[in-house]
Amino acid sequence: MDASASETTVSYPEIISIFADVFQYTGPLTRTTSPEDISRWDSLQHIALVRELEMAFSIRLSMDEMMEIRSVADIETVLQRHGL
Amino acid sequence: MSSASSYWQSGAGAGRPGLALATEDKIGEIVDAVIAAAPECLRQRVILPAIDWSKVPPPKVSLLLLSLAEAGLSVPRWLSKALLLAGHKLDAGSAQTLTASLAVLNRLNAASGEWNEREAVSGAIATLAYDPDIDPAVVGALLRRLMALSWDEEALRLALAHYHRMPHILNQIGDLLETHVAQLPAARLHVSGSSTTWTLIEAIRPAFAVEGVRAEIAEGLYGSALSDLITPPTDVDALVVLLDFESLLPRDWRLGSHDLENRLVAEAEVLANALEAFSTRTHVPLLINTLPVPSAPTAGFLDRSHATGLRRAVDILNARIFDAAERSSRIVVIDADQALSSISVQEQADPKLWYYGRIAYSADATRLMARAFAEAWQLQGRGRAKVLAVDFDNTLWGGVYSDDGPERLACSHDFPGNAYQALQKECLRLKGQGLLLVALSKNNADAISVFEQHPGMVLRADDFSATAINWQPKPENIRKLAADLNLGLDTFLFIDDSPHEREAMRRLCPEVMVPEMPSDPAERPIWLRRLAATWPVRITAEDETRATLYAVEREARKAKVGAASIDQFLAGLEQNLVLSFVSSKTAARAAQMHQRTNQFNLTTLRLTESDIARYMNDEASGIAVQGRVIDKFGDHGLVVAATVDIDAGEAIIRTLVMSCRVIGREIERAFVGELLRALARRGIRRVRGEFVPTPKNAMVRDFYASCGFTQTSTDAGRTTWLFVRDASDEPASTFVTASWEI
Repeated sequence: MDASASETTVSYPEIISIFADVFQYTGPLTRTTSPEDISRWDSLQHIALVRELEMAFSIRLSMDEMMEIRSVADIETVLQRHGL
Repeated sequence: MSSASSYWQSGAGAGRPGLALATEDKIGEIVDAVIAAAPECLRQRVILPAIDWSKVPPPKVSLLLLSLAEAGLSVPRWLSKALLLAGHKLDAGSAQTLTASLAVLNRLNAASGEWNEREAVSGAIATLAYDPDIDPAVVGALLRRLMALSWDEEALRLALAHYHRMPHILNQIGDLLETHVAQLPAARLHVSGSSTTWTLIEAIRPAFAVEGVRAEIAEGLYGSALSDLITPPTDVDALVVLLDFESLLPRDWRLGSHDLENRLVAEAEVLANALEAFSTRTHVPLLINTLPVPSAPTAGFLDRSHATGLRRAVDILNARIFDAAERSSRIVVIDADQALSSISVQEQADPKLWYYGRIAYSADATRLMARAFAEAWQLQGRGRAKVLAVDFDNTLWGGVYSDDGPERLACSHDFPGNAYQALQKECLRLKGQGLLLVALSKNNADAISVFEQHPGMVLRADDFSATAINWQPKPENIRKLAADLNLGLDTFLFIDDSPHEREAMRRLCPEVMVPEMPSDPAERPIWLRRLAATWPVRITAEDETRATLYAVEREARKAKVGAASIDQFLAGLEQNLVLSFVSSKTAARAAQMHQRTNQFNLTTLRLTESDIARYMNDEASGIAVQGRVIDKFGDHGLVVAATVDIDAGEAIIRTLVMSCRVIGREIERAFVGELLRALARRGIRRVRGEFVPTPKNAMVRDFYASCGFTQTSTDAGRTTWLFVRDASDEPASTFVTASWEI
C-alpha cells in the first residue's frame, strides 16, 4: 500500500454507511468524494446528510459547518474539530 | 479509530505491517491474560468492560465463562449483554438470568436457521415488539441476526415496532420495508404546508407503514396550505396540512401593538375561513396540526398575555383551528404539543434548518408529527377501541383474590393500593367516554363480589357490561364476549399484567389489541392515558349511553377456539418443571403455599414449616416434593408442592397445592406423574389421593380422575381415590419437560 492510498482512505467507517443510507451510494468513497461524484448529493439531501452526521456522532453542527461540508475530507475536518 | 481486524487474527496494517502484527499479538496476549484473571477482574469490575468481545473468538469466550463458573461466579447482566451484543452465545447456566430480550438474542446467536428454531422465537419477538423499554442496542443486534438468518417477517415486525424510538433501524432491514409496504392498503394523501414539507413526507411513509397503511403522497406546492384548503385537491383520501407559526404569521415589529393585534386577528380569520371553505367543499378528511408552544418567547413571562407575545398569537390561531374542527367532523386536529411531548421545546426546531431550507421542525419533531398524523388517520378511519377487557388480580387490585381473600387486596387511598385505585379511575373515565368495560379474569365467579365488599374499589360490578370470570383460557372467553356483545374482536383492547396472558391473546386472537403493560403499577394510569387506541375521536352522547345498551342486550352465545391452537400456545411456552425434595432452605416457601393456596388445593390442610420439616428426615415414612417452573419467560419459582405419607408399601397424598399463576398449563399433570414415578422407584405401586371440598377448590374436584385414579369412596362431597401402577399410566404432559434436581 502506498502513501497516497492511506491519504485518501476514509478514516471514519460511519461515513460509508451514512452515504449508503442517505444517498444510496455504495461506490468507491475517498476523502475527495464530493457532490460532483454523487448525483443525489443535492441541496435537499445535504440536509439529510447533516442530520445523519449529527445523529451518528451525537454532535450539533453549526450553520457555517453545514456550508463548509463540500467533500468527505470536509466532513472529517469537521468531525476532528468536534474531538472525534 | 478501531482496526477492522481481530485481536486473534494477524493482518497487514497500513504502511508498517511488521509493527502491526506485533501489536495485535500483544493485544491477543492481554486478552488471554484478562480471561485468565477474569474472576478477579469481575469482582473489581475492571478491564472486562473495556474489551470488544466481537473481536474475541468463541473458544476464548468459552474459556472466560468456564473460569468464572469455576470461581463460583455467575455472569453479571452487563457482561452477558456485552457478549451477546458481540454475537456470542451463552450456555444454559449463564443464560438463566437474562432479560427477555437478551434471552431471545442468545437464541438467535445460537440459531442456525432451522424452521423449528424460528417457530420458537417468533412469539417472543412479537412480545418484544410491544416492549417500549427495550435497549436500542439489543434491538439493533436482534435485527442484525434476524436479517442474517433471513427471518424477514420477524425482522420487519421488530423494526416497525421500534421505528419511532430508533428511526435508524429501518436502514438495517434493507428493502424489506418497501416489499411490505407495497402490499398494504393505500391511503392517498395530499401534503401541504405553510413552509417546507418534504421532511414530513419522508417521515410519513414509515409512520403510516407502522400503522399498516401505504401512504401514497402528492406534494403540494411550497407554502400552499391555505390555497389547498380553499381549493381542495381532488382524487385524494385525505389532505394533510403542516402548519408552523413563522411562515403562517411573520410578525412585523414596525407595527404598534394595536396594529399587530389587528393583523393577528385578521390572519386568524383568514385561516378560519379557509377551514370553513374546506369543510363545505369536500368530503375527504383534513388532518391539520395546531401550532406548538414557541421555543422562545417574544414577551418574556408575559408571552401569553401581552399583545406582542408569540404564545398569545399561537393560542389565538389554535383556538380558531379547534373552533373549526368543532363545527366539522371532517377536520381532525393533531395537537402538536401532545405529539411533541416526548422531546423538549428546544429540540422541536433546528434553527439552522429553518434558515437553510425553511424547515420548521427538527428531524425528531418531524418524525413525531408524522407519527401523530398516522395515528390520527387510523383513529378517524378505523375508530378507537370499543371494549376494554380488563384482568382483575394484580391489574385492578394488588394481590390475588383467591389466595389473599377480599380484605387483603391492595386498592385504597393509601400507598400502594392508590396506584391500583388510580387505574380503576382511568377505567371509569374510559367508560364515561363510551368504552365498554368487560371483566376477563381467571378466578372463581364470586371474585366479582370484591367490587361490593372491598371499600377501596372505585369500580362497581355493574360498571362491567359483560364478565367472563372463570378458569377457561382468556382467548376463548374473549371470543364469547365478542359474540355476546356482537362486536368484532378488533374493537377489543385487552389489558393484563401477565405476559403469558398477553402472549396467549396475541397468538390466539391476533385481532385483539394487546398493548404491553408496564410491570410497575405506578406507571399504569399514565400509560393507559397514552394509549392512542383509547382516545376518543369525538365524544358523543351516544357513546355515553352505549355501555348501558350493551348491558341490557347481553345474551349468552357460544364461540369456540380450536383446542389445537391452545396446544400450540402451550408448546410455545417451553415449560420445564424441576422437581426436588423439600429441604430446610425451601420448607418456608412450601409452608407458605400450604397456607395461602385456596383454589388448587386438594385437601386444604394448612401444614406449617415444622409439619413439613418432618418429611425431610425420614424418607421411609413420607416425602415432601416441590416443583419449580421455568419457561421462556423466566423462572416462576416454586409453584407446586405435595406431601406424601408412606405406610406398609402404600402411599397417600396428604396435600397437593399449586399456585394459580400456572393453572391451565398442565404443570399439575406432569408433577403428579413424576411424583407417582418417584414412588414407584421406591417400590410403591398403590397411591391414594383425597379431595376435601371447600368453597374455593371446586376446580380440582375431578383432578384425580383426570390423572388415572379411580374413586374408592365418597362422603358429603369428600372423595378418596386410588392409583394402581400397571392398571393405569402415570399422567404426563407433552408441554412440560420434567426433571429432578437432587
